Amino acid sequence: MRDTITIFILLLTATTVFGQTEISGLVTDNRGEPVIGANIFIVDSYDGASSDVKGVFKFSTSEQGAQVLRVTFIGYETYETSIELSGENINLTIALTEKVDRLDAVVISAGSFTAGEESSREVLKPLDIVTTAGATADVAGALNTLPGTQKVGETGRLFVRGGEGSETKTFIDGIEVLNPYSSSAPNTPGRGRFSPFMFSGTSFSTGGYSAEYGQALSSALVLKSKDVPDETRTDISLMTVGADVSHTREINAGAFAGKLQYTNLTPYFEAVSQRLDWERAPQSMEGNFMLRKELNTKHELKLYSNFSWSDFIIYQPTILDGSIKDKIDLTNNYQYINSSLKSIINDQWSVRSGVSYTNSIERIKFNGVKNNEREEGVHLKTVVANDVSEKFSLQMGGEHFIRNYAFEYAALPDGKLGFDQGLTALFAEVDLYTSNRFVTRAGVRGEYNWMQDRFYAVPRLSVAYKTGENSQMSVAYGQFNQTGRNDLVRVKNDLEDEEADHYIINYQREGDGRTFRIEAYYKNYDNLIKFTQTDNPESYNNHGNGYAKGIDIFWRDNKSLKGVDYWLSYSYLDTERDYRNFPYAAVPSFASGHNFSAVFKYFINALKTQVGGTYSYSSGRPFNDPNLDTFNSEKTADYHDLSLNASYLLKSNIIIHGSVTNVLGLDNIFGYESSEQTDENGQYVLRAVKQPASRFIFLGVFITLSKDKSVNQLPTL
Amino acid sequence: MKTLTLIATLFFAMHISHAAPSKYEEAMQENISKLYASRTIEEYQEVINKFDRIAAMEKDKWEPLYYAGFGYIMMATEAKEATVKDKYLDLALEKINGGKQLVPQESELIALEGFVHMLRVTVDPAARGAQYSGLSMQAFGKAVGLNPDNPRALYLMGQMEYGTAQFFGSDTGEACEKLKLAVEKFDTYVSDNPLAPAWGKGGAIAAMERCQ
Repeated sequence: MRDTITIFILLLTATTVFGQTEISGLVTDNRGEPVIGANIFIVDSYDGASSDVKGVFKFSTSEQGAQVLRVTFIGYETYETSIELSGENINLTIALTEKVDRLDAVVISAGSFTAGEESSREVLKPLDIVTTAGATADVAGALNTLPGTQKVGETGRLFVRGGEGSETKTFIDGIEVLNPYSSSAPNTPGRGRFSPFMFSGTSFSTGGYSAEYGQALSSALVLKSKDVPDETRTDISLMTVGADVSHTREINAGAFAGKLQYTNLTPYFEAVSQRLDWERAPQSMEGNFMLRKELNTKHELKLYSNFSWSDFIIYQPTILDGSIKDKIDLTNNYQYINSSLKSIINDQWSVRSGVSYTNSIERIKFNGVKNNEREEGVHLKTVVANDVSEKFSLQMGGEHFIRNYAFEYAALPDGKLGFDQGLTALFAEVDLYTSNRFVTRAGVRGEYNWMQDRFYAVPRLSVAYKTGENSQMSVAYGQFNQTGRNDLVRVKNDLEDEEADHYIINYQREGDGRTFRIEAYYKNYDNLIKFTQTDNPESYNNHGNGYAKGIDIFWRDNKSLKGVDYWLSYSYLDTERDYRNFPYAAVPSFASGHNFSAVFKYFINALKTQVGGTYSYSSGRPFNDPNLDTFNSEKTADYHDLSLNASYLLKSNIIIHGSVTNVLGLDNIFGYESSEQTDENGQYVLRAVKQPASRFIFLGVFITLSKDKSVNQLPTL
Repeated sequence: MKTLTLIATLFFAMHISHAAPSKYEEAMQENISKLYASRTIEEYQEVINKFDRIAAMEKDKWEPLYYAGFGYIMMATEAKEATVKDKYLDLALEKINGGKQLVPQESELIALEGFVHMLRVTVDPAARGAQYSGLSMQAFGKAVGLNPDNPRALYLMGQMEYGTAQFFGSDTGEACEKLKLAVEKFDTYVSDNPLAPAWGKGGAIAAMERCQ
């Protein structure tokens, strides 16, 4: 009996021994480093374990026979293997393969600054555009504090890396915008037509950009319109320069937003003395309308439109005799409509298509003589994207531009100049991730210009390599072409496109609230338009050329000083061009060798106030003194500006904002204009181009009315 | 006779085992206690792995996904770097969305989703406040709507309202009322699901005490 029991017990123990299999092993990555916290388990059972700090794991299972062992870990491909469970110990060494994860992977950063809400890796936040002191809530104003830009204070435009203002193109939701700046009197800065409050993302490329964007020699500014939020609210702004009201309303599967704005500078100019002699200070009326609607789960429609009207009358003294004044009477009408449709076909395929219409009519009476300019354009675009896998994606598209430009001026032989341009373009681009550390983007763009009857094919290439957890290097190369400026092409329609090659190398380090970027570039300009006589088409050709090279440095830190966020940028630029009416290669008058900006922002919790300051410096800019034998050989004094701003949260839905530019009241000179004729001594007379007033002071109250009392305009200030 | 008693007992035992915890419930209970006791990222990862293993087998149960999501949320609060926090929050949301596919109207899951959005705000309040505080309030509102007795939904919503009111210097009365109600519900509300979440009472009491 006792024996039977012993045998029974023995048998019992034996089955338990046979029934339990011990599985142990090591999990590593493909470089042999241990993977900590990997999940190792038998599929369809609870049995498993996690790897420890040495990558080691061990567990036992009562499962029997052929089973599947699965190993999973964040950022790695799932590993599976068949095992035979027979009670015998199993020891495994498992090497996991890193998964390419676009969010974690290296990004192409050469030449590009992006501001977006989603990723915590962005260099800038959308909010930065509007809280930068001195920018006065102007997109170009804020981007002018980034490296790669030159301060050209009398225009308000973006001059990038030795390029002219017209070499920067603006796109909204991928669709081109013509004439993106409001009209201004000669030598006074214009503002961007598009309020930064309307955009959730900004991508500012200073070179080497994607094949998707064409007809831009130096820079692409890509704005992503905000998804109108699903809420109902009304915002009212009262400002020293005018007022606006906007309303957002939730509609079925989407939202609608409208904004009306009226500005009039008369009261301000009465209060703060101006250097300029205004008969009627600038005033404008503007309407913005946006709509977002999900047609169904796969199709989303977005509409964005801007209508504006502005006018002013100004007297400008002639250079030769200050007592004689030219009267400039300007009225501008502008309409921009953009609609885009985003369709998701399936997991892999998606289609973005859009159409825009721009109509800009500028009526100028120069001493009573008609001087009208009109530009009308249509842009159609479709982009098809295919995410073949996490490692490989493809995008291709086609676009067509129609642009009609007319300039009416009584003194012209026909009273009119202009052109009709048609342009068809195709582009394709691939992104290939060899690993999480290495990405290559290669693209090509072909354009057929119907007006010139010419075809252009340009390649674009960027690669980026992650050198460490938080650092990466990228290089980019690209060829770019752009039809010449309207005021040149209107004289001779069949001028070829101007061309530029970009070579960029970039290093970036980010992490722990700090960002460091350094970028060096070389740009080669060719086919630039040259002429000797402004009105003689025979004298126009494409024989101009030039170069630009430089270094851009950016440092941002919101960690070291509590509550303080600041950035510093420095740009060095060396450039010369032989173009337009230059007698030989020279530094153009918009180019300054050294540009520096320091921007700081500080939120004082106790006062519920954010204060900010921006200091900008620009070394002297060249100008031409026609009394000398040399061309563009003289230099202005250096430029300095200190601007401050503050926003105070009065109540949860009321914000008071104030800003002052050029606090120190420095008398900056942007350049010199010269008289067309000589004076009685046979000398050309020079006149300094200065700021229209030494300071600009802005005060505003922003009120939000909504059901949720905590909502205010802070996110937009 | 003895044998008979034994058999009877066995039968009885088998019968009550119906009501007694199943293997699933037992494994879950053990893990849930481990989750509440975890403090470091490594400990959380280990217990999340266990929930993942259970979820892989019990494809119709939302609880393992809920607790895995909660584990990732706790990991996010432990992480220092913003990008790492975001990564854990993404993973939490993935688990929560998995759970929502099984039970779209589960108040606890929706409240947890609101918690994820709330933590997104803390990563970068200036840039994200507007978008994510709206999303989190929406989720809390929906969670309370689905189950007005859910103490966690009330607690998180009160917490969010309190923070917002304090930031703008406005009245915290409404938020404090909600927190008080949450503390009451923590004492009175009993779910019929033995695996229902039980966390949050301590935090709710601490939050309510700040009101006084």
